[in-house]
Amino acid sequence: MTRGLKIFLIVGAVIVVFLLSLYGFFKGTYNNFVTLDESVKASWAQVENQLQRRYDLIPNLVETVKGYAQHEKGVFTDVTNARARVGGAGTIPDKIAANNALSGALSRLLLVVENYPVLKADQNFIRLQDELAGTENRIAVERRRYNESVQTYNIAIRKFPANILAGMFNFTKAAFYEAPEAATAVPKVSFGE
Amino acid sequence: MKLKYAYISGSLLVVLFIFMVRSEAVETFPKPQGPINDFAGVIDAQSRTVMDRLVREVWQKTATALVVATFATIEDNDPADYANRLYQTWGIGKKGEDKGVLIFFALKERKIRIETGYGVEGILPDGRVGEILDRYVVPELKEGRYGTGLLSAVAAVSAVIIKDAGVTLSGKSSYHQASQGQRKKSGNLFSLILMFLILLVLFGTRQGRAMLPFLLLMALGGGGRGSSYGGSGFGGFSGGFRGFGGGLSGGGGAGRGF
Repeated sequence: MTRGLKIFLIVGAVIVVFLLSLYGFFKGTYNNFVTLDESVKASWAQVENQLQRRYDLIPNLVETVKGYAQHEKGVFTDVTNARARVGGAGTIPDKIAANNALSGALSRLLLVVENYPVLKADQNFIRLQDELAGTENRIAVERRRYNESVQTYNIAIRKFPANILAGMFNFTKAAFYEAPEAATAVPKVSFGE
Repeated sequence: MKLKYAYISGSLLVVLFIFMVRSEAVETFPKPQGPINDFAGVIDAQSRTVMDRLVREVWQKTATALVVATFATIEDNDPADYANRLYQTWGIGKKGEDKGVLIFFALKERKIRIETGYGVEGILPDGRVGEILDRYVVPELKEGRYGTGLLSAVAAVSAVIIKDAGVTLSGKSSYHQASQGQRKKSGNLFSLILMFLILLVLFGTRQGRAMLPFLLLMALGGGGRGSSYGGSGFGGFSGGFRGFGGGLSGGGGAGRGF
């Protein structure tokens, strides 16, 4: 083997190794993005299932409460309007905002219930309230899992050097589902008007 | 050719490195000690025996895992959130089937919660779970009879599961011995040997040492894989009860104060 051939072979090998590792990096990172992106979508679908479940529960709940507290019209209108807004929301941020508003309206409705002991003792209402509480809890659980997957995804696409690839292939940050203020704050109880 | 070997062993090292980093998981919950986990020490011996037998038989006949966990305190945690994360960490029920129920009790906070897995939401809707709590469980707990109250919860939930599965209980169960759990050790030993061999190649040869900086660069670029939840499962160490198989709960069920 001549000296020239030897150098040629070594340089060739280095280039091949370099290209292979570059390919490995691209492939691994890109596929990782795809997996994470899909898991964000899947966990969002779970959130929507639970939001839909709540959406379906509300008419029943409102009807039951109405039977005992007809004159609390303002609260019913609020809930109905907020529910309609949820039905009309299109994008994910819209849906999140609309559902947060609905959570607020619902918690006001449940506050009103406190003033009606007979309603609170109604077996049918207790069951409905359990279903609603369970649904709210399911939403909280799926929201937590959704936020976890969003965080993993966002971290992956923002870290160097993967962020260059994310920019090239247009992987953009996913939106967090922030818990509504009303759901975390302790509701204020007012007696009378 | 030597360069190629160094490259291959180097990549192996990188892969191993990634796996080692990934398997570090944060564990804040105690490990389950079987189906009845009385961390708060509130269940009397007799209730415990009956519960244990009942739960094992339900598991055998319906493949639905019923687990009880009592805590002295859960600090500042929200009971519903805590119960759900505990459920997920323990992985109650078989993975994918998610047929499991967690009966969760916090003494200081005076909270009881029955958390249902995805697979039993259909037969145990929240309203029904709430009714079970109101009717059979909370009255007992209010009187301070924690063992009886929890036993009532187990019995009432079992009754629903048994009825849905269309089986009957005999009152005695013959559980088979667990033989899992020891297999994992050999895997660890194998990766240790592999790592030792790779290190030998890397540091023992000149080419290997020359490859090191390059490999380090690669290791830095290739970190961070996607995470997945679903519980790892604790099969095999609880004497026949294999109810910890990576099952998941979506937060269904009901809770009460007492």
